[in-house]
Amino acid sequence: MAARVGIAATGQIKFGNLSEYDLVDIMAYAATEAMEDGGIVEKHSIIDQVIVANMGGGIINHQTGIASSLVSRLNLEPASAELVENGPASGASAVKVGWMAIASGLADVVLVVGGETMRKVTGWAATDFVATLLHPEAEYNMGLTLPAFGAMFTRLYMERYGLTERDLALIAVKDHENGAKNKFAHVEETCTIEAIHDNANAHVVNNYVAEPLRLYSVCPVSDGAAAVILVNMDSPKAQQFRKPPIRIAGIGSATDTHCVHNRKDPLALAAVRVSAERAYAMAGLRPADISFAELHDAFVTLEMAISEEVGLFPRGKAVDAVRRGDTRIDGCLPISPSGGLKAKGHPVGATGVSQVVELVRQLRGEAEPGRQVKDPRYGMAVNFGGFANNVVTIICARE
Amino acid sequence: MIDFGIYGAQEPRIFAYRCPQCHTAYYPPPMLCAKCSNRRDPSGIVYDDWEKFPLEGACKLLTWTRVWALPEGYDQPYLLFGMVEFPNGLRASGRLEVESPHLGMELIAWVAESSERPGHPVNIFLFSEAAARPLPTNLRCD
Repeated sequence: MAARVGIAATGQIKFGNLSEYDLVDIMAYAATEAMEDGGIVEKHSIIDQVIVANMGGGIINHQTGIASSLVSRLNLEPASAELVENGPASGASAVKVGWMAIASGLADVVLVVGGETMRKVTGWAATDFVATLLHPEAEYNMGLTLPAFGAMFTRLYMERYGLTERDLALIAVKDHENGAKNKFAHVEETCTIEAIHDNANAHVVNNYVAEPLRLYSVCPVSDGAAAVILVNMDSPKAQQFRKPPIRIAGIGSATDTHCVHNRKDPLALAAVRVSAERAYAMAGLRPADISFAELHDAFVTLEMAISEEVGLFPRGKAVDAVRRGDTRIDGCLPISPSGGLKAKGHPVGATGVSQVVELVRQLRGEAEPGRQVKDPRYGMAVNFGGFANNVVTIICARE
Repeated sequence: MIDFGIYGAQEPRIFAYRCPQCHTAYYPPPMLCAKCSNRRDPSGIVYDDWEKFPLEGACKLLTWTRVWALPEGYDQPYLLFGMVEFPNGLRASGRLEVESPHLGMELIAWVAESSERPGHPVNIFLFSEAAARPLPTNLRCD
């Protein structure tokens, strides 16, 4: 039987423009925050393995061998160390690899750190860097980008389910309301529906990025790092942490076609659905058991589409939930209490780890006042790689 | 020479492939057929290579966007992109050369050579309404 794996500690650096800092330094900062959160003293003897999530170190920072560099920066030698690159799903994939290391008996304590510094280059170059995950000849060479696919997806979603630009703005208002209270969020400003949609001059502040997506429909380009320490809950080492671990109840991942145009239904996010089914099966849970979710809203439409694929709402009905306010922090199913990628930010390699940090903070009751979900039992995170061609779902449980 | 690619060597073309065993068509081609697991061998040494045919002509617009935040190398205020379906069921994504698109509209798919980005020129799809090759100013069409 696989070992029970829990998250004993979390750490994060505030997301934003950290372009003056070194990538490995901000990762090391998040890792030391996690060590402090765990209250561990004998760091060298307790951490068996380090797993690092990063997507663009080689392209943006001209920096490779990042896992080895991080171990040395933290003086954790001779811990073993590996890098996980799985596009924007690198973070959750790294947590999955850490989970596998403990579940297999290879390690008892694993430090997982995700980090990215995308603002060291221009916005144009950052957009180009993320687009390198598309099919090189059939998509990237055409000039297509991730916002282009997000926009084409949104247009179809609008056509089929009656989604409007006002609905997109409502999600942004909700995300920024949560993000403004999150000490780790990139954007700490609230916005109103009048300012970004209802006012006659709203288009001035909320201009199109990729029609029908506007500025307030897409996440910012962010730098940041996040860390979690995974433990074998049945190992004596787990007793050395000062807080009881939050159990990883289920992990699932799945893939879909590289080219978006090769999906029978371009609105079907099969990798999201299958990854969630696998996570539910491992956890022995159903969608109705989930107390709150952190979903990969790089484009706010995805918050609704993902919530439907994982079974939180019937297909085509998430927009009604948004209009009713069900997904707000005081609603019946809060989504992205952290502010989501929209407000918290999206440093690609860090995002999946940061989502898990948020699950733990919520389940421990440590979120800031005004954005703490009421008495949560199970939290779900969906980390979305490519345009949904590689997705990881993680369900955490408060014991 | 092993030909892994989808480009034509002589003129701007983009190719689709057909599995010789079960006749399933692909764009872009995989190395194994999803339907019958037949192997594609671009070297032609072990197995016959798959039939390749130009992907162009009449198609229907499935969805589209006008992108205002373009990546490095594109010197225009915006570009339009679309996803289309051909009568044989194959689909493709590319550049849309229509100012007022609508879902389901009938289009013609052309292929042009683009030198917008650094490096070797690449072949791209242009989807237009007219039955004449569009010549957008930002592309070098040989």
